[in-house]
Amino acid sequence: MEIEIIAFGKIAEFIRGQRISLTAVSDTEQLRKYLEDSYPLLSGTKYKLAINKRIIQQKTAIQNNDSVAIMPPFSGG
Amino acid sequence: MEDERYHRQIILEGFGPIAQQKLAKAKVLVVGAGGLGCPALQYLAAAGIGLIGIIDNDTVALSNLHRQILYTSDDLGQLKVVVAKQRLQLMNPGIEVVIHPLRLNAQNILQILESYDVILDGTDNFDTRYLINDACALLKKPLVFAAVSGFEGQLSIFNVTDDQGIRTNYRDLFPVPPLPGEVPNCADNGVLGVLPGIIGTMAASETIKFISNTGKPLINKLLHYNLLNNQQYELKISPARDYELPQTEAELLNKHTGSLNTTEETYSEITGTDLQRMQEEPSTILIDVRERHEQPGLNTTVFRQTPMSEFRQFMETDIEENNIIVICQHGIRSAAAAKELSRKYGNTKNIFSLKGGIVKWYAYF
Repeated sequence: MEIEIIAFGKIAEFIRGQRISLTAVSDTEQLRKYLEDSYPLLSGTKYKLAINKRIIQQKTAIQNNDSVAIMPPFSGG
Repeated sequence: MEDERYHRQIILEGFGPIAQQKLAKAKVLVVGAGGLGCPALQYLAAAGIGLIGIIDNDTVALSNLHRQILYTSDDLGQLKVVVAKQRLQLMNPGIEVVIHPLRLNAQNILQILESYDVILDGTDNFDTRYLINDACALLKKPLVFAAVSGFEGQLSIFNVTDDQGIRTNYRDLFPVPPLPGEVPNCADNGVLGVLPGIIGTMAASETIKFISNTGKPLINKLLHYNLLNNQQYELKISPARDYELPQTEAELLNKHTGSLNTTEETYSEITGTDLQRMQEEPSTILIDVRERHEQPGLNTTVFRQTPMSEFRQFMETDIEENNIIVICQHGIRSAAAAKELSRKYGNTKNIFSLKGGIVKWYAYF
Protein backbone atom coordinates (compact mmCIF):
# COMPACT_ATOMS: atom_id res chain seq x y z
CA MET A 1 0.00 0.00 0.00
CA GLU A 2 1.21 3.48 -0.80
CA ILE A 3 0.17 6.64 1.05
CA GLU A 4 0.99 10.32 0.82
CA ILE A 5 2.45 12.09 3.87
CA ILE A 6 2.08 15.85 4.38
CA ALA A 7 3.61 17.44 7.47
CA PHE A 8 3.16 20.98 8.78
CA GLY A 9 4.97 23.47 11.01
CA LYS A 10 8.05 22.25 12.85
CA ILE A 11 7.24 18.64 11.96
CA ALA A 12 7.85 19.45 8.27
CA GLU A 13 11.48 20.16 9.22
CA PHE A 14 12.10 16.46 9.87
CA ILE A 15 9.33 14.76 7.89
CA ARG A 16 9.23 16.03 4.33
CA GLY A 17 6.20 15.58 2.11
CA GLN A 18 6.52 12.23 0.35
CA ARG A 19 4.79 9.10 -0.81
CA ILE A 20 5.68 6.05 1.24
CA SER A 21 5.07 2.35 0.75
CA LEU A 22 3.72 0.57 3.79
CA THR A 23 3.67 -3.09 4.68
CA ALA A 24 2.09 -4.36 7.89
CA VAL A 25 0.36 -1.01 8.55
CA SER A 26 -3.39 -1.06 8.14
CA ASP A 27 -4.78 1.49 10.58
CA THR A 28 -3.95 4.85 12.16
CA GLU A 29 -2.67 3.29 15.43
CA GLN A 30 -0.10 1.26 13.51
CA LEU A 31 0.73 4.24 11.34
CA ARG A 32 1.35 6.38 14.42
CA LYS A 33 3.80 3.80 15.76
CA TYR A 34 5.45 3.43 12.36
CA LEU A 35 5.94 7.21 12.04
CA GLU A 36 7.25 7.63 15.59
CA ASP A 37 9.69 4.74 15.09
CA SER A 38 10.87 6.17 11.77
CA TYR A 39 11.07 9.76 13.07
CA PRO A 40 11.93 9.69 16.81
CA LEU A 41 11.51 13.50 17.06
CA LEU A 42 7.80 13.02 16.37
CA SER A 43 7.20 11.09 19.59
CA GLY A 44 8.23 14.14 21.63
CA THR A 45 5.79 16.40 19.78
CA LYS A 46 2.05 17.03 20.08
CA TYR A 47 0.35 16.44 16.74
CA LYS A 48 -2.93 15.40 15.20
CA LEU A 49 -3.34 13.03 12.26
CA ALA A 50 -5.82 13.60 9.46
CA ILE A 51 -6.71 11.11 6.76
CA ASN A 52 -7.97 12.59 3.50
CA LYS A 53 -8.42 15.95 5.26
CA ARG A 54 -10.48 14.56 8.15
CA ILE A 55 -9.08 14.82 11.65
CA ILE A 56 -8.73 11.33 13.16
CA GLN A 57 -10.30 10.85 16.61
CA GLN A 58 -10.25 7.05 16.82
CA LYS A 59 -8.54 4.09 15.22
CA THR A 60 -9.26 4.32 11.50
CA ALA A 61 -8.38 1.97 8.66
CA ILE A 62 -5.90 3.22 6.09
CA GLN A 63 -6.46 2.57 2.40
CA ASN A 64 -4.14 2.63 -0.57
CA ASN A 65 -3.52 6.19 -1.85
CA ASP A 66 -4.79 7.84 1.34
CA SER A 67 -3.40 11.24 2.13
CA VAL A 68 -2.12 11.54 5.72
CA ALA A 69 -1.58 14.99 7.26
CA ILE A 70 0.46 15.52 10.44
CA MET A 71 -0.53 18.80 12.12
CA PRO A 72 1.16 20.32 15.20
CA PRO A 73 -0.35 23.11 17.36
CA PHE A 74 0.76 26.71 16.67
CA SER A 75 0.74 29.36 19.38
CA GLY A 76 2.35 32.43 17.76
CA GLY A 77 0.52 35.70 17.43
CA MET B 1 -25.35 54.48 10.00
CA GLU B 2 -23.09 56.33 7.57
CA ASP B 3 -24.16 54.55 4.41
CA GLU B 4 -21.51 56.21 2.29
CA ARG B 5 -18.65 54.88 4.42
CA TYR B 6 -19.85 51.31 3.88
CA HIS B 7 -21.26 51.90 0.38
CA ARG B 8 -18.85 49.56 -1.44
CA GLN B 9 -19.72 46.58 0.75
CA ILE B 10 -23.40 47.42 0.98
CA ILE B 11 -23.74 47.33 -2.83
CA LEU B 12 -21.91 44.01 -2.92
CA GLU B 13 -24.19 41.20 -4.04
CA GLY B 14 -24.39 38.62 -1.26
CA PHE B 15 -23.67 41.23 1.43
CA GLY B 16 -25.92 44.28 1.35
CA PRO B 17 -27.53 46.50 4.02
CA ILE B 18 -28.79 43.61 6.17
CA ALA B 19 -25.29 42.19 6.56
CA GLN B 20 -24.01 45.69 7.32
CA GLN B 21 -26.65 46.05 10.05
CA LYS B 22 -25.47 42.79 11.60
CA LEU B 23 -21.90 44.14 11.75
CA ALA B 24 -23.14 47.37 13.33
CA LYS B 25 -24.93 45.42 16.07
CA ALA B 26 -22.02 43.04 16.76
CA LYS B 27 -19.70 43.14 19.76
CA VAL B 28 -16.30 41.57 19.04
CA LEU B 29 -13.49 41.10 21.54
CA VAL B 30 -9.95 40.86 20.15
CA VAL B 31 -7.56 39.25 22.62
CA GLY B 32 -3.98 40.35 21.94
CA ALA B 33 -3.23 43.59 20.08
CA GLY B 34 -0.11 42.15 18.47
CA GLY B 35 0.80 40.74 15.06
CA LEU B 36 -2.57 39.05 14.54
CA GLY B 37 -4.63 41.55 16.53
CA CYS B 38 -3.49 44.70 14.69
CA PRO B 39 -4.63 43.79 11.17
CA ALA B 40 -7.75 42.08 12.53
CA LEU B 41 -8.66 45.22 14.48
CA GLN B 42 -8.08 47.48 11.49
CA TYR B 43 -10.43 45.55 9.22
CA LEU B 44 -13.05 44.97 11.90
CA ALA B 45 -13.09 48.69 12.69
CA ALA B 46 -13.11 49.73 9.04
CA ALA B 47 -15.90 47.26 8.24
CA GLY B 48 -18.12 48.84 10.89
CA ILE B 49 -18.27 46.31 13.75
CA GLY B 50 -20.38 48.28 16.24
CA LEU B 51 -18.36 47.59 19.37
CA ILE B 52 -14.79 46.31 19.48
CA GLY B 53 -13.07 45.31 22.71
CA ILE B 54 -9.28 45.00 22.88
CA ILE B 55 -7.37 43.12 25.60
CA ASP B 56 -3.60 43.52 26.00
CA ASN B 57 -1.41 44.56 28.92
CA ASP B 58 1.75 45.04 26.89
CA THR B 59 3.51 48.20 25.73
CA VAL B 60 4.82 48.90 22.22
CA ALA B 61 8.41 47.70 21.66
CA LEU B 62 10.68 48.40 18.69
CA SER B 63 10.77 44.70 17.74
CA ASN B 64 6.93 44.75 17.43
CA LEU B 65 6.80 47.34 14.66
CA HIS B 66 7.64 45.09 11.67
CA ARG B 67 4.34 43.26 12.14
CA GLN B 68 2.14 45.24 14.56
CA ILE B 69 1.09 47.84 12.05
CA LEU B 70 -1.22 49.94 14.22
CA TYR B 71 1.84 51.34 16.00
CA THR B 72 4.53 53.82 14.96
CA SER B 73 8.03 54.61 16.21
CA ASP B 74 6.48 57.44 18.24
CA ASP B 75 4.40 54.96 20.25
CA LEU B 76 7.31 53.04 21.83
CA GLY B 77 6.70 52.33 25.50
CA GLN B 78 3.01 53.18 25.35
CA LEU B 79 0.20 50.80 26.18
CA LYS B 80 -0.85 48.99 23.00
CA VAL B 81 -4.56 49.14 23.80
CA VAL B 82 -4.43 52.91 24.27
CA VAL B 83 -2.62 53.54 20.97
CA ALA B 84 -4.76 50.99 19.14
CA LYS B 85 -7.98 52.60 20.34
CA GLN B 86 -6.77 56.04 19.26
CA ARG B 87 -5.88 54.82 15.75
CA LEU B 88 -9.09 52.83 15.31
CA GLN B 89 -11.26 55.76 16.39
CA LEU B 90 -9.45 57.96 13.87
CA MET B 91 -10.13 55.36 11.19
CA ASN B 92 -13.77 55.03 12.16
CA PRO B 93 -15.30 57.38 14.75
CA GLY B 94 -18.70 55.76 14.18
CA ILE B 95 -17.87 52.62 16.18
CA GLU B 96 -17.22 52.10 19.88
CA VAL B 97 -13.83 50.81 21.06
CA VAL B 98 -13.45 49.51 24.62
CA ILE B 99 -10.01 48.77 26.04
CA HIS B 100 -9.01 46.24 28.68
CA PRO B 101 -5.37 46.93 29.63
CA LEU B 102 -4.88 43.63 31.47
CA ARG B 103 -3.84 40.03 31.09
CA LEU B 104 -6.63 37.47 30.99
CA ASN B 105 -6.65 34.94 33.81
CA ALA B 106 -9.08 32.39 35.20
CA GLN B 107 -10.43 34.97 37.68
CA ASN B 108 -11.32 37.73 35.22
CA ILE B 109 -12.02 35.96 31.92
CA LEU B 110 -15.68 34.98 32.25
CA GLN B 111 -16.78 38.43 33.35
CA ILE B 112 -14.92 40.09 30.47
CA LEU B 113 -16.00 37.68 27.73
CA GLU B 114 -19.64 37.63 28.76
CA SER B 115 -20.75 40.87 27.10
CA TYR B 116 -19.24 40.07 23.67
CA ASP B 117 -20.79 38.12 20.79
CA VAL B 118 -17.59 36.82 19.19
CA ILE B 119 -14.08 36.38 20.60
CA LEU B 120 -11.03 36.60 18.31
CA ASP B 121 -7.96 34.91 19.78
CA GLY B 122 -4.77 36.56 18.54
CA THR B 123 -2.65 35.74 21.59
CA ASP B 124 0.89 34.39 21.53
CA ASN B 125 0.98 31.61 24.12
CA PHE B 126 -0.71 28.29 24.83
CA ASP B 127 -1.68 29.08 28.44
CA THR B 128 -3.91 31.95 27.35
CA ARG B 129 -5.17 30.10 24.26
CA TYR B 130 -6.39 27.12 26.33
CA LEU B 131 -7.89 29.46 28.92
CA ILE B 132 -9.79 31.37 26.19
CA ASN B 133 -10.89 28.10 24.58
CA ASP B 134 -12.23 26.67 27.83
CA ALA B 135 -13.95 29.93 28.84
CA CYS B 136 -15.54 30.26 25.39
CA ALA B 137 -16.71 26.64 25.52
CA LEU B 138 -18.20 27.25 28.98
CA LEU B 139 -19.97 30.43 27.85
CA LYS B 140 -20.79 28.92 24.42
CA LYS B 141 -19.17 31.93 22.74
CA PRO B 142 -18.08 31.68 19.11
CA LEU B 143 -14.27 31.77 19.05
CA VAL B 144 -12.28 32.77 15.98
CA PHE B 145 -8.91 31.10 16.44
CA ALA B 146 -5.80 32.36 14.63
CA ALA B 147 -2.19 31.31 15.22
CA VAL B 148 1.13 31.43 13.38
CA SER B 149 4.41 29.54 13.40
CA GLY B 150 7.37 30.22 11.13
CA PHE B 151 5.92 30.81 7.66
CA GLU B 152 2.61 29.08 8.41
CA GLY B 153 -0.73 29.91 9.97
CA GLN B 154 -3.82 28.18 11.35
CA LEU B 155 -7.36 29.46 11.42
CA SER B 156 -10.66 28.09 12.73
CA ILE B 157 -14.01 28.96 14.31
CA PHE B 158 -14.87 27.04 17.47
CA ASN B 159 -17.99 26.64 19.63
CA VAL B 160 -20.48 27.11 16.84
CA THR B 161 -22.97 24.33 16.12
CA ASP B 162 -23.04 23.46 12.42
CA ASP B 163 -26.09 22.33 10.44
CA GLN B 164 -25.41 18.74 11.51
CA GLY B 165 -25.52 19.67 15.19
CA ILE B 166 -21.74 19.33 15.63
CA ARG B 167 -19.79 21.77 17.77
CA THR B 168 -16.03 21.57 18.27
CA ASN B 169 -13.34 23.43 20.17
CA TYR B 170 -9.53 23.60 20.26
CA ARG B 171 -9.29 20.57 22.56
CA ASP B 172 -10.80 18.46 19.77
CA LEU B 173 -7.56 19.15 17.93
CA PHE B 174 -5.08 19.21 20.78
CA PRO B 175 -6.61 17.94 24.04
CA VAL B 176 -3.75 19.04 26.28
CA PRO B 177 -1.36 21.99 25.97
CA PRO B 178 2.23 21.35 24.90
CA LEU B 179 4.81 21.62 27.67
CA PRO B 180 6.58 24.99 28.01
CA GLY B 181 9.25 25.22 25.32
CA GLU B 182 7.88 22.23 23.37
CA VAL B 183 6.52 24.49 20.63
CA PRO B 184 8.57 27.60 19.83
CA ASN B 185 6.91 31.05 19.84
CA CYS B 186 7.57 34.04 17.57
CA ALA B 187 10.07 35.57 19.99
CA ASP B 188 12.26 32.45 19.89
CA ASN B 189 11.48 31.28 16.40
CA GLY B 190 11.08 34.50 14.41
CA VAL B 191 8.21 35.48 12.15
CA LEU B 192 7.99 37.35 8.85
CA GLY B 193 5.90 40.44 9.55
CA VAL B 194 3.48 39.90 6.70
CA LEU B 195 2.46 36.39 7.90
CA PRO B 196 0.40 37.49 10.94
CA GLY B 197 -0.81 40.28 8.64
CA ILE B 198 -2.32 37.68 6.30
CA ILE B 199 -3.63 35.37 9.04
CA GLY B 200 -4.96 38.26 11.16
CA THR B 201 -6.75 39.66 8.11
CA MET B 202 -8.19 36.20 7.40
CA ALA B 203 -9.37 36.06 11.04
CA ALA B 204 -11.15 39.40 10.54
CA SER B 205 -12.64 38.03 7.34
CA GLU B 206 -13.93 34.90 9.11
CA THR B 207 -15.38 37.08 11.89
CA ILE B 208 -17.18 39.29 9.36
CA LYS B 209 -18.43 36.28 7.38
CA PHE B 210 -19.67 34.59 10.55
CA ILE B 211 -21.46 37.65 11.94
CA SER B 212 -23.03 38.64 8.63
CA ASN B 213 -23.88 35.05 7.68
CA THR B 214 -21.93 35.35 4.44
CA GLY B 215 -20.25 32.46 2.60
CA LYS B 216 -18.84 29.47 4.46
CA PRO B 217 -16.99 30.43 7.62
CA LEU B 218 -14.50 27.88 9.01
CA ILE B 219 -16.92 26.24 11.46
CA ASN B 220 -15.54 22.84 12.51
CA LYS B 221 -12.69 23.29 10.03
CA LEU B 222 -9.02 24.02 10.49
CA LEU B 223 -7.44 25.99 7.67
CA HIS B 224 -3.68 25.79 7.33
CA TYR B 225 -1.87 28.41 5.22
CA ASN B 226 1.72 28.26 4.02
CA LEU B 227 3.16 31.61 2.98
CA LEU B 228 6.17 30.09 1.19
CA ASN B 229 4.20 28.21 -1.46
CA ASN B 230 0.75 29.81 -1.04
CA GLN B 231 -0.79 26.44 -0.31
CA GLN B 232 -3.85 26.06 1.84
CA TYR B 233 -4.94 22.82 3.47
CA GLU B 234 -8.34 22.52 5.08
CA LEU B 235 -9.09 19.82 7.65
CA LYS B 236 -12.51 18.78 8.90
CA ILE B 237 -12.67 18.65 12.71
CA SER B 238 -14.91 16.20 14.53
CA PRO B 239 -15.46 15.98 18.28
CA ALA B 240 -12.90 13.98 20.28
CA ARG B 241 -13.95 12.29 23.50
CA ASP B 242 -10.56 12.19 25.18
CA TYR B 243 -10.71 15.35 27.30
CA GLU B 244 -12.89 17.17 29.79
CA LEU B 245 -13.87 20.81 29.60
CA PRO B 246 -14.57 22.80 32.75
CA GLN B 247 -18.35 22.90 33.21
CA THR B 248 -18.49 25.59 35.91
CA GLU B 249 -16.55 28.69 36.89
CA ALA B 250 -15.06 26.77 39.84
CA GLU B 251 -13.79 24.05 37.49
CA LEU B 252 -12.32 26.68 35.17
CA LEU B 253 -10.50 28.29 38.10
CA ASN B 254 -9.27 24.93 39.26
CA LYS B 255 -7.98 23.93 35.83
CA HIS B 256 -6.31 27.22 35.00
CA THR B 257 -5.04 28.68 38.24
CA GLY B 258 -1.35 28.18 38.61
CA SER B 259 -0.75 27.59 34.93
CA LEU B 260 -0.73 31.33 34.38
CA ASN B 261 1.76 33.51 36.18
CA THR B 262 -0.38 34.85 39.00
CA THR B 263 2.51 36.33 40.98
CA GLU B 264 3.06 39.18 38.51
CA GLU B 265 1.94 42.66 39.52
CA THR B 266 -1.66 43.32 38.60
CA TYR B 267 -1.06 47.01 37.96
CA SER B 268 0.69 48.56 34.96
CA GLU B 269 3.04 51.52 34.66
CA ILE B 270 2.04 54.15 32.11
CA THR B 271 3.67 57.20 30.56
CA GLY B 272 2.45 60.81 30.69
CA THR B 273 1.09 60.50 27.16
CA ASP B 274 -0.86 57.37 28.18
CA LEU B 275 -2.16 59.29 31.18
CA GLN B 276 -3.45 62.13 29.04
CA ARG B 277 -5.21 59.71 26.72
CA MET B 278 -6.54 57.51 29.48
CA GLN B 279 -8.00 60.27 31.59
CA GLU B 280 -10.57 60.73 28.82
CA GLU B 281 -11.77 57.13 29.30
CA PRO B 282 -15.12 56.77 31.04
CA SER B 283 -15.10 55.46 34.62
CA THR B 284 -11.57 56.64 35.37
CA ILE B 285 -10.32 58.09 38.65
CA LEU B 286 -7.00 59.96 38.99
CA ILE B 287 -5.40 59.88 42.42
CA ASP B 288 -2.50 62.09 43.54
CA VAL B 289 -0.84 60.42 46.53
CA ARG B 290 1.61 63.26 47.28
CA GLU B 291 1.28 65.19 50.54
CA ARG B 292 -0.79 68.34 50.24
CA HIS B 293 2.17 70.76 50.40
CA GLU B 294 4.08 69.24 47.49
CA GLN B 295 4.64 71.27 44.31
CA PRO B 296 3.65 71.58 41.54
CA GLY B 297 0.04 71.65 42.64
CA LEU B 298 -2.41 69.93 40.28
CA ASN B 299 -6.07 70.70 39.60
CA THR B 300 -7.67 68.96 42.59
CA THR B 301 -11.01 68.59 40.81
CA VAL B 302 -9.27 66.35 38.25
CA PHE B 303 -6.65 64.74 40.50
CA ARG B 304 -8.18 63.53 43.73
CA GLN B 305 -5.80 64.36 46.59
CA THR B 306 -5.18 61.27 48.69
CA PRO B 307 -1.80 61.67 50.44
CA MET B 308 0.02 58.47 51.43
CA SER B 309 -0.40 59.54 55.08
CA GLU B 310 -4.15 59.17 54.57
CA PHE B 311 -4.01 56.20 52.23
CA ARG B 312 -4.89 53.48 54.78
CA GLN B 313 -8.10 55.32 55.59
CA PHE B 314 -8.82 55.78 51.88
CA MET B 315 -8.41 52.03 51.28
CA GLU B 316 -11.37 51.36 53.58
CA THR B 317 -13.72 53.10 51.16
CA ASP B 318 -14.65 51.44 47.87
CA ILE B 319 -13.71 52.98 44.55
CA GLU B 320 -16.53 52.93 42.01
CA GLU B 321 -14.52 53.69 38.87
CA ASN B 322 -13.08 50.83 36.79
CA ASN B 323 -9.79 52.51 35.87
CA ILE B 324 -7.60 53.81 38.69
CA ILE B 325 -4.55 55.92 37.83
CA VAL B 326 -2.21 56.78 40.71
CA ILE B 327 0.44 59.49 40.45
CA CYS B 328 3.10 61.00 42.72
CA GLN B 329 6.32 62.99 42.33
CA HIS B 330 8.68 60.25 41.03
CA GLY B 331 6.46 57.21 40.52
CA ILE B 332 7.69 55.35 43.60
CA ARG B 333 4.91 56.06 46.08
CA SER B 334 2.31 55.70 43.33
CA ALA B 335 3.69 52.23 42.52
CA ALA B 336 3.36 51.26 46.20
CA ALA B 337 -0.19 52.63 46.25
CA ALA B 338 -1.04 50.81 42.99
CA LYS B 339 0.28 47.58 44.55
CA GLU B 340 -1.97 48.12 47.60
CA LEU B 341 -4.94 48.80 45.34
CA SER B 342 -4.25 45.72 43.23
CA ARG B 343 -4.18 43.61 46.42
CA LYS B 344 -7.64 44.90 47.27
CA TYR B 345 -9.23 44.91 43.82
CA GLY B 346 -7.22 42.18 42.04
CA ASN B 347 -8.21 42.01 38.40
CA THR B 348 -11.65 43.50 38.90
CA LYS B 349 -10.23 46.97 38.15
CA ASN B 350 -7.52 48.31 35.86
CA ILE B 351 -4.84 49.93 38.01
CA PHE B 352 -2.04 52.15 36.75
CA SER B 353 0.90 54.05 38.16
CA LEU B 354 2.49 56.99 36.33
CA LYS B 355 6.06 55.90 35.55
CA GLY B 356 8.66 58.45 36.67
CA GLY B 357 5.94 60.54 38.30
CA ILE B 358 5.02 64.16 37.72
CA VAL B 359 8.69 65.17 37.34
CA LYS B 360 9.07 62.98 34.25
CA TRP B 361 5.60 63.87 32.95
CA TYR B 362 6.32 67.60 33.21
CA ALA B 363 9.50 67.06 31.20
CA TYR B 364 7.20 66.30 28.23
CA PHE B 365 5.99 69.87 28.04
